[in-house]
Amino acid sequence: MIEVHDLSVSVGGRAILHKVELSAPAGQLTAVIGPNGSGKSTLLKALCKDYRYDGHVRINGRDLAELSLTEAAAQRAVLPQSSTLPFPFTVREVVAIGITAGRAGPSGDALRRLPEQALAAVDLHGFGGRFYGELSGGEQQRVQLARVLCQVWMPVLEGVPRYLLLDEPVSSLDIRHQLMIMDVARRFADNGGGVIAVLHDLNLAAMYGDQVLALRDGEVVAAGRPDSVLSDAVIEHVFDCPLRVGVAPSTGAPFVLPQSIRRTAPVHTRVA
Amino acid sequence: MMSGVMTVADIAQPRREPGDRSHLGRAAIVLLAVLLLLAMTLSMTTGASGASAWSILKGWLGMAPASELDTLRDHAVIINIRLPRMILGVLIGAALAVSGLLMQGLFRNPLADPGLVGVSAGAGLGAVGVIVLGTTALAPLTAFLGIYSLQLASFFGGLATTFILYRVATRSGQTAIATMLLAGIALGALAGAVTGVLVYVATDAQLRDLTFWGLGSLAGANWMKVLASGPIIIAALGVSTLLAKGLNAMTLGEATAAHLGISVQRFKLVTIVTVAAATGASVAVSGGIGFVGIVVPHLLRMVIGPNHRYLLPATALLGASFLLFADAVSRLVVAPAEMPIGIITAALGGPFFLWILLRRRSAFAW
Repeated sequence: MIEVHDLSVSVGGRAILHKVELSAPAGQLTAVIGPNGSGKSTLLKALCKDYRYDGHVRINGRDLAELSLTEAAAQRAVLPQSSTLPFPFTVREVVAIGITAGRAGPSGDALRRLPEQALAAVDLHGFGGRFYGELSGGEQQRVQLARVLCQVWMPVLEGVPRYLLLDEPVSSLDIRHQLMIMDVARRFADNGGGVIAVLHDLNLAAMYGDQVLALRDGEVVAAGRPDSVLSDAVIEHVFDCPLRVGVAPSTGAPFVLPQSIRRTAPVHTRVA
Repeated sequence: MMSGVMTVADIAQPRREPGDRSHLGRAAIVLLAVLLLLAMTLSMTTGASGASAWSILKGWLGMAPASELDTLRDHAVIINIRLPRMILGVLIGAALAVSGLLMQGLFRNPLADPGLVGVSAGAGLGAVGVIVLGTTALAPLTAFLGIYSLQLASFFGGLATTFILYRVATRSGQTAIATMLLAGIALGALAGAVTGVLVYVATDAQLRDLTFWGLGSLAGANWMKVLASGPIIIAALGVSTLLAKGLNAMTLGEATAAHLGISVQRFKLVTIVTVAAATGASVAVSGGIGFVGIVVPHLLRMVIGPNHRYLLPATALLGASFLLFADAVSRLVVAPAEMPIGIITAALGGPFFLWILLRRRSAFAW
């Protein structure tokens, strides 16, 4: 369980997050949604110890501030928004950095095969020998996810659940790989780990989230099950634009349909 | 292997995952160790006097046919001139190459090098300060520090330059390469200007010292210099072996390195101090020897890849061999005189650096 209580973060004297409450249990995928600048990434960065914060963050009952960086690295892995490398690493070498840093779990021969296994999980089977710098942006993002997976390969190690913190994990991926990566995160949670993912795609949040946290201007507007958070009133307020929520006929999960701003906007804002 | 039947092919060539270059790293380290032994042998047997290390060895083994006098003279040449020179060559070559590698990891940029970005100039300023002011303004200090004063002055000169460079060129973990190189030029010029003033006020005897020191040469090697610089360089190289994991993590950026469990602030501090110590102790002995720190790591990265676990020891080994070979060449081309070794490394390194620039222009944007 990752528990956040009364969390406030200021960056450069400007308040970004204000008294955020969140509990993200192991075994669940928590989707964080909100418009640009609402504090989603800041929340994730505070959980990563990147920022100083006021309030309390506990991981598996222990205060985050008291965890050493090495201990933290063994309990949670963080997917950054983007990474460029200054040196010519092969894909396998990048993924293997995750193994040496964290505690993957497997050992011996299984550990040696782990990078290839992680690459297969993100649909990059056979990419181990390619150079990272020569891959497309979406492929690089999936390599980074494979590295992150290797850091905490077993969702539960020695009885302790571990966590994936994903900042826009599918932002530069095609639809097939968006679903595939969300499936990987879903499986991690189903196997006992915890996932907190910042998502822009509300439909992915609805489909994959066990709970959704909606942020606006650094404050929690709504939190709870997707069908309770994703209502017309809440998300129109959060995103400040016309949106309609329906129910997908096949799954019963909510889906979000944007309405054109131009058609509903007052006449004087239209382009003449 | 899984079936329990191990074939010869399995033993000779264990199955490798694609993209795994650790076997290349291990092989390179073994080969480079052999190369270093050859370079050390070459260094011991090359020189103007014609003295042969072999004759000494034979003498020790009781099979020396040479005359008593020859043996005595050769003994003096080998033990008091060539042996310290060889040891300093190994240490300084390794120190310069590893310093380059560490700076490249710290700045996340393959073009960083103590010589290029003014760190050597800063270390040089410290050394010149001690040579010129050591008997006057800094006399109490040099008296207190003894044989280490030159080394420590270089160390602090290099340390100050590296800190300033890092503060100027790096904003929230991102180093702008143009800023870094330009700041390096500015710092180098500044150190050069102050050095110039010191040279201007130097006495004739000090000028002689300065000239010998500044040529960039191992020519003045003696046991005292080994004693003064050796421990500092060995300590720096020892510390550098602990930095491999951090260097790998840092290539993913500072934030990610922290997520991977690296204490980034401490890592940067240790790296900067190590670079300053290695560069300072080298510059104090040999003056400015350029390009070793850029040529050696770059060449190895192309062959074994950038995994610092293997790259670090390989860089130290090749750096040592490279400097010994350059030193041997410097003794041979204009024998019995000597050419400053800095000229040779620059003649090799300058074109190499240009080649990297041309190559990178198309391959990666930086």
